[in-house]
Amino acid sequence: MTISPTPKRAYDLNFARYVYENIDGGERLRMCMQCGACSGSCPIGKQMDHGPRKLFMMIRAGMKEAVLTSNTIWNCVSCYNCVVRCPRKVPITYILHDLAYLAVQEGYEPAKKADNARFAKAFWWSAAKYGRTDERLVTGKYYFSFGIGEGIKRGLGNQAIALNMIKTKRMHLGMPHAIKAKDELQKILAKAAEIQERHGKGA
Amino acid sequence: MEKKIGAYLCSGCGIGEALDVKALEGVVSKEFKKPVKSHECLCGEAGLAVIKADMEAGDVTLPVIGACSPRVMTDRFMLPGMTPIRANLREQVIWSHPAGDEDTQMMAEDNMRMMMTMATKVNQPVPFTEGEFSTTILVVGGGYAGLTAASEASKAGHDVLLVEKKAALGGNAAGYASIVPSKPPYHDPQPNPLPKLIEGVNATKSIRVITGATVAKTSGMPGKFEVELSDGSTHTVGAIILATGFRPYDATKLSHLGYGASPDIVTNVEMEAKLKAGKVTTKAGSSPKAVAFIQCAGSRDPNHLPYCSSVCCSVSLKQAIELTKADPETMVYVIYEEMRTPGTTEEFYRSAQEAGVIFMKGKATKVENGSGITVTVADELLQQDVPLGPLDMVVLATGMVPNSTDPDAPAQEYGAELLTADINPYPAEGDYKPEPSVPPGGPLLNLQYRQGPHLPMLADGFSDSHYICFPYETRRTGIYACGPVRRPMDMGEVHEDAMGAVLKSIQVIRNAAQGHAVHPRVGDLSYPKINLNACTKCRRCTVECPFGAIDENEKDYPVVNPTRCRRCGTCMGACPVRTISFDNYTVEMLSSMVKAVNIPDEDEEKPRILVIACENDAYPALDMAGIAKHQYSPFIRILPVRCLGSMSLLLISDALSSGYDGVILMGCKPGDDYQCHFVKGSAMAKERLSKISETLKSMQLEVERVTMVDASIADGARLPKVIDELVAKIDAVGPNPFKGF
Repeated sequence: MTISPTPKRAYDLNFARYVYENIDGGERLRMCMQCGACSGSCPIGKQMDHGPRKLFMMIRAGMKEAVLTSNTIWNCVSCYNCVVRCPRKVPITYILHDLAYLAVQEGYEPAKKADNARFAKAFWWSAAKYGRTDERLVTGKYYFSFGIGEGIKRGLGNQAIALNMIKTKRMHLGMPHAIKAKDELQKILAKAAEIQERHGKGA
Repeated sequence: MEKKIGAYLCSGCGIGEALDVKALEGVVSKEFKKPVKSHECLCGEAGLAVIKADMEAGDVTLPVIGACSPRVMTDRFMLPGMTPIRANLREQVIWSHPAGDEDTQMMAEDNMRMMMTMATKVNQPVPFTEGEFSTTILVVGGGYAGLTAASEASKAGHDVLLVEKKAALGGNAAGYASIVPSKPPYHDPQPNPLPKLIEGVNATKSIRVITGATVAKTSGMPGKFEVELSDGSTHTVGAIILATGFRPYDATKLSHLGYGASPDIVTNVEMEAKLKAGKVTTKAGSSPKAVAFIQCAGSRDPNHLPYCSSVCCSVSLKQAIELTKADPETMVYVIYEEMRTPGTTEEFYRSAQEAGVIFMKGKATKVENGSGITVTVADELLQQDVPLGPLDMVVLATGMVPNSTDPDAPAQEYGAELLTADINPYPAEGDYKPEPSVPPGGPLLNLQYRQGPHLPMLADGFSDSHYICFPYETRRTGIYACGPVRRPMDMGEVHEDAMGAVLKSIQVIRNAAQGHAVHPRVGDLSYPKINLNACTKCRRCTVECPFGAIDENEKDYPVVNPTRCRRCGTCMGACPVRTISFDNYTVEMLSSMVKAVNIPDEDEEKPRILVIACENDAYPALDMAGIAKHQYSPFIRILPVRCLGSMSLLLISDALSSGYDGVILMGCKPGDDYQCHFVKGSAMAKERLSKISETLKSMQLEVERVTMVDASIADGARLPKVIDELVAKIDAVGPNPFKGF
């Protein structure tokens, strides 16, 4: 699904303007002066295709596909070093996370495959369904998102850890814990989705 | 009035504990046979009362005060009568040398000897106040700078003569739709203040506006300039403000950026005209939807203007903001190498970012005109070549060329050779040396000066001044440059600059009428007097004067224009027959001071090294060394001079023949980035010093004995080390064989 406009030539501003107006924190992005304090303070900058500084310039340059397929948006660990240091108060972490969400929505392959995306989906599934996260369900759902064979392999690989967690009562056996009023939670989530819809963002 | 010298010694601030004040008194009373008194706090009321009582009784007219540095407590020791002479016993003796030491005491005694000798040699200066002095201010140039200057000068109570070359007032600023903000919150373009200013100037009776005229000839000196205009009228004015502004760089030389290839490739000046007309349209008549600004078009480019014009970035910001305001859908790009937004224009830059202007860091390498314009940008942030287009318009941000000459007037042959490269006429190996070049056009004021019709200018064509300390000063006293002729600046800066130049003009008018010098020797009443009987017409004084103060008469004798003079004494140092002197400053006086020092015998192993220190930088730096309690060799004897340019070579040969083991000259940095308060005084000293080796050889002395050191006012920590090193070096050469002769 295509949500944001796709630029046809270099420095076509339609995608940049979409980001300014729709991405969480995007309205401050226009103030970016490309100083590079963000990329310089990023602890995992080396694991990124592009640092945040360059990614933001790519947004301006209309390089939508390169932005939404980069691993930058998935590898951010939310340490907020860059946000603290940004002289122009750009909420870089928010922007990266919301760009990741946009990439998922628009169905880019790297977004589908990204580890973080799989884990986030499993986490959300558990949280939305039970009002709590259950270690077994979240990890199970995450592992099996790679396929049945890979799921079993990963599960067995972490067997020792799981047993230790059970022993130290970090993980329990039996029915998953759930909150009492699950239907109330569903109402809250439905309301949140409605608000988000009203603010012009996709589901 | 008979000169009566009396010495006063202060024993406060630790002087009494560190020195034997009684012995110092003895130097004055026994060696100089003059009355001497000491007090524990000379700058206090009780101490001053002692001096004042003697002066009122008529026993003393010239006090010699042995206390702190002459640079402090000047207001306390401002006494009626002659300016007191101060011997520095605190900063340069007890604060920089061990207390109670024999060598420290000797240093203090020699300081007293030097200053007592000085007192016997100085005379009360008689100021130059001959004839009438005009208080009218001539403003050349009727643009924003000139109009502001005229308006401010009239507000300060001066009559103003405003001369504009064009038929109408306004200059470049008349074409501006709006201006870069100079008031908080520095967010939006401000309305052009020019129309109101013109209205005000036209309505002011004390401002006489002459349009369609230029200055044909200027002679005279501050307080009495005789100015002839191209319309034939003549005027007497006290000071001149030069506000001839700038012209935009010739865009026809920018064909590599597409200028001329399409009517939609315009300069910032042309864009401003479109904005002023109300609606920006392309040649085809539509509103532009995509516009790129190319910064540094012909600027910071060795093939065009080598310098940054400082305002083009903020002008592009302003025009970009106006374009996005007119249509928020317009895509506006600013292609820059470095965004230069000095001071508050940084806020304006943010404002443009908020408006959605896109900034691309890189260089525009190609501008092609096909269906729409395409600019290829070597994008530094993306590390790739980006074709930007199709664009509807391209704006070239061109820089400023100073109107240091009148480009419409024919160039004059005479004086052109003096325009450049005279600050550093004798560069050392590796020094930056500007190519002697003559900017096109005729002189603005056509000065009838010995040193040519032009105002000296820097290699880039801007008017030369002591940039940091005295920005409005040109190198012709009484003529003050303001606005972009001095350096590139925006309207807000021009406003301040014009006010500064007005204040400077008022200063020179008032000082000249009283025979006072203007900066940096403000209030100095002396001026050079030349004994023409001894003059050999060698012309060194007329050529070397940094300010063109000395002309030549029809018999080739030098003629001093006293109010042009800044009292540096470069002429005095230059004169080979030492026939130039000031009432209170002569070669003979300095020479006697040098000889007043006691030179110990060779076997005492106490070398004596003369430090000739510039009063403006080196001397205060030595004071600061003392304030910070940095210690240095007690074998030096410091002789303050007005400028190293006033140092005659005689001083060095006198010092060496009277037994000093070496001489250190401390002056400001010479050269293109000079720090000399008198522009080229230290360069002249350097030049003279290059000739000393022959003198030394003829005396059979080693060249190492004489050294020149660049000193800036911030060198308080460095100079003590330099002194110690040089003293060790001179000591290694061995004692001066002339000792005791």
